[in-house]
Amino acid sequence: MAFITDHILTWVAFAPALGAVLVLAAGRTPGTARRLALGAALVDFVLSLHLLRYFETGNGADQFVEHAPWLAGGKIAYSLGLDGVSLWLVLLTTFLGPLVILSAWRAIAERVREAMAFLLLLQTAMIGTFLARDMLLFYVFWEAMLIPMYFLIGIWGGERRVYAAVKFFLFTMVGSVFMLVAILWCYQQAGSMALADFLQLELSRGQQSWLFAAFALAFAIKVPLFPFHTWLPDAHVEAPTAGSVILAGILLKMGTYGLLRFAIPLFPEAALALGPWLAWLAVIGIVYGALVAMVQQDVKKLVAYSSVSHLGFVVLGLFSLTTTGAAGGVVQMLAHGLSTGALFLLVGIIYERRHTRMIAEFGGLAHAMPRFAAVFLFVTLASIGLPGLCGFTGEFLILFGTFGSGLLPHARLLTALAATGVVLGAIYMLWMYQRVFLGKLGERNRGLPDLSPREWAVLLPILVMIVALGVHPAPLLERLEPSLERILAPVAALRQTESTYGLAAGMPADRPAAAVAALKGDR
Amino acid sequence: MNGPTPVTLGAELPVLAPYLVLAVGGLAVMLVDAFSGGRRRDHLSLLTLLVLLGAAAAQGAAPAEPRGATLLGGMLAADRFSRFFNLLTVTIAMLTTVYATSMFERDGRYRADFYPLTLFAALGMMLLAAATDLLSLFLAVETMSLAVYVLVAGERGSLRSSEAGFKYLILGAFASAFLLMGLALLYGQAGATDYASVHRAVQAAPDGGILLPLACGLVLVALGFKVAMVPFHMWTPDVYDGAPAYVTGLMATGVKAAAFAALLRVVWLLPPIAEAWFPLLAVLTVLTMTYGNLVALSQNGLKRMLAYSSIAHAGYLLLGVLAVLNTGRDSATAVQAAAVRDAAGGAILFYLVVYALMNLGAFGVVACLSRSRREEADAIDGYAGLSRRRPFVAATLAVFMFSLAGIPPTAGFVGKFYIFDAVVKAGLVPLAVWGVINSLLSAYYYLRVIVVMYMKPAEGEVHDGHSWEAAFTCGVLALLVLLLGVVPGSFYALAAHTYRQMIF
Repeated sequence: MAFITDHILTWVAFAPALGAVLVLAAGRTPGTARRLALGAALVDFVLSLHLLRYFETGNGADQFVEHAPWLAGGKIAYSLGLDGVSLWLVLLTTFLGPLVILSAWRAIAERVREAMAFLLLLQTAMIGTFLARDMLLFYVFWEAMLIPMYFLIGIWGGERRVYAAVKFFLFTMVGSVFMLVAILWCYQQAGSMALADFLQLELSRGQQSWLFAAFALAFAIKVPLFPFHTWLPDAHVEAPTAGSVILAGILLKMGTYGLLRFAIPLFPEAALALGPWLAWLAVIGIVYGALVAMVQQDVKKLVAYSSVSHLGFVVLGLFSLTTTGAAGGVVQMLAHGLSTGALFLLVGIIYERRHTRMIAEFGGLAHAMPRFAAVFLFVTLASIGLPGLCGFTGEFLILFGTFGSGLLPHARLLTALAATGVVLGAIYMLWMYQRVFLGKLGERNRGLPDLSPREWAVLLPILVMIVALGVHPAPLLERLEPSLERILAPVAALRQTESTYGLAAGMPADRPAAAVAALKGDR
Repeated sequence: MNGPTPVTLGAELPVLAPYLVLAVGGLAVMLVDAFSGGRRRDHLSLLTLLVLLGAAAAQGAAPAEPRGATLLGGMLAADRFSRFFNLLTVTIAMLTTVYATSMFERDGRYRADFYPLTLFAALGMMLLAAATDLLSLFLAVETMSLAVYVLVAGERGSLRSSEAGFKYLILGAFASAFLLMGLALLYGQAGATDYASVHRAVQAAPDGGILLPLACGLVLVALGFKVAMVPFHMWTPDVYDGAPAYVTGLMATGVKAAAFAALLRVVWLLPPIAEAWFPLLAVLTVLTMTYGNLVALSQNGLKRMLAYSSIAHAGYLLLGVLAVLNTGRDSATAVQAAAVRDAAGGAILFYLVVYALMNLGAFGVVACLSRSRREEADAIDGYAGLSRRRPFVAATLAVFMFSLAGIPPTAGFVGKFYIFDAVVKAGLVPLAVWGVINSLLSAYYYLRVIVVMYMKPAEGEVHDGHSWEAAFTCGVLALLVLLLGVVPGSFYALAAHTYRQMIF
């Protein structure tokens, strides 16, 4: 097995692509195509478990590194690496992969072979984006991600799918082309496309500002940060369930991942100077997303806007520029991936039965589908951050990190405003739950079948992970912390030179695991 | 640049062989046609392909002068650069022949003049890329253009084809006049016609003269006409649209490549271009990109859309030329400047090849799906539902569209990457920014084709044409586009090396 374990990252990244080729070549009937795709996604998940098993906890550097010259005499390389942040995002991707395919089992009935191939290709592009340690390689994966998603929305989507697909494509591209110029400029300065060499660049504050702006625009659109979020509701609503789950679960994390991996450490001074603006946009997004979600008639749209709100938390956490806040951000990314992914799956399940997602059409569903209602309630509570479930850990760390951040002006005000988002989140989610599941059961909703075994198979793993993340986040944080410290080191270095910065007095040390432990009282 | 090494006449014959094979082959095809009576003409296509293969083989067998040499007393260059373009031209001509023949067969009506004219046009393109003398430059331009005029107009019975040919002829004659005037002025200045002497004279010329910049400007106008640079692009949409699809493919790729090859030699030859004309050229480049893309947005015909997009692509290529020029103006050290210049030149060559692959691919799809020459598969709306009817052809067209839009992992992205990289290295960051904004604009109209093919159902019964040869060719081209998108390294190295060894 050495040929696999020696190049484990390549295998994890490209196993789905191989699966896609297999599906295209051999998936003659829809059934075969589905089974082959599921098999490929499961194999990929098993391969990614190898990463978890052999990941060296406490080491913040890239592991399982692979490097091969690609272009320009090795100045541009096929360079992959995996640190704590990438580890969890890759695992999230491979974990959701099979579930997504399973969820599309019935929902995608036409052109199954192509749909499965696109889902798998998308997975390769996403994993590649998380692993790439060469800027051009990163950019290639980043852009390549657009193509399968574009087809998934455009071919298998809802009524306004073409509009949504094109909007998704062009919005994302707007950001990335400027990033390309910024990458080219840095490439010229650094003489290589390696991320490590980019990190060594000595740039003036003015240069940093422009470059940071170019990078941040690309990522802010992907997140999406207010006011760049307008593509998201369209894409989410029109995408098929499988597409929505991937969009919410993983694709949006590309933006926050990019901010954390590239924008902040590459241009620390600019991040320090411009970060507060992004933090304010994030807080606006938190509140705005929540308010807009509240008035939605369509469950799917409501969940889509809730994503704007949740991702706002992540960005706020990242721009607290503390390890705690950033750790909260990453945890929130995972939590949002699980809970919102599950919400989209649940919405998809009800849509398959009723062919509508309008809140007004429902009511009293708990009588007709009690198990479904229970699962929905569980996920709803996870999404609004009930302690003990995944949403809480992330939000807590973010607010905690932001509150104590000495690098962010008005940190406490921002924290307070963001906290209102938590309240609003509880309101719109529970209100929606009340209108859909409680009350009198309408005539048209009578006799709807409850969850099928296949649907249980999709949901159960997510439910387990939601609890696991909420109850015992320590294994996650242990592996995350050293990497985050490493990523934020350039910012920390600035903080030391300007000694006025630092955690506000009276706050515990900037250690996310310690913060969680303190919360639980087992210090 | 490397100085030319003289070669004795006897030794020149093998190096001249590719040109001779095409010239003699073209005549032979014409004669064979004349004596073929009323029979079918499919043997002509076979013969043409053989001639082109022969030219390629002759090029392959030609002794390689490591440092290049000039032929016929300085008329033509026999360097890697001309070898590169000869092989590219032959490939383009072969693809064109395949497409045209497949169309003729579907019609059952052959167009015999197509074959010799294509050979002569290819000869003109090869000569143009190799020209190192003012006279051979002009002769090459005319050889190529005259053949192409007739090719464009030759679809007898089609008014639009005749109109296109006529427009191209009239405007082309204007361009030729500009070129001739420019060359005459240069000759007046240098007292000789070979590039080496002209270069020496230009460098020795006292500053402040008006004639030299004027001469350079006139030459630029003429070559700008051939590559469809704004504001000399007016003919492009009508001619590309009116010409039969198989000829449009040849024009968009072959003529453009040859004209850029000539331009690359000429800009290096004439420093006044860099000095006097750089700002204007920069403005025109920006306009070329932007105009092409903006107008392409609203086209409903695939050929016309590709015509405007080809104007935009000329703009990207001109960006590369600007990068080449700017290295001479910058204060950077000579070594750095040379490195950037090679990078930019290599990027242009790479892009020309990639552009030929993806554009010929797109025109190949048009050729494949056209029911007959009168009913070309031109309307974009006619492609609705194609992904269901013809998944393979649709997939190849999707690859070409993504590549033209510059989305990874296709060769189109890598080509743009190299161009923009060179532009940034040459210190022209704002131009690079404008370039990427343009490629953003272009994504919209390329995506539209994909939207129609994949996301719109066909309206009513649709009968596409079909051709195995064209479909197979498109498949190979799509594969190449993807391959060059993933592992472009060695091919780019070859292109940069080729440019480095260019002589004049």
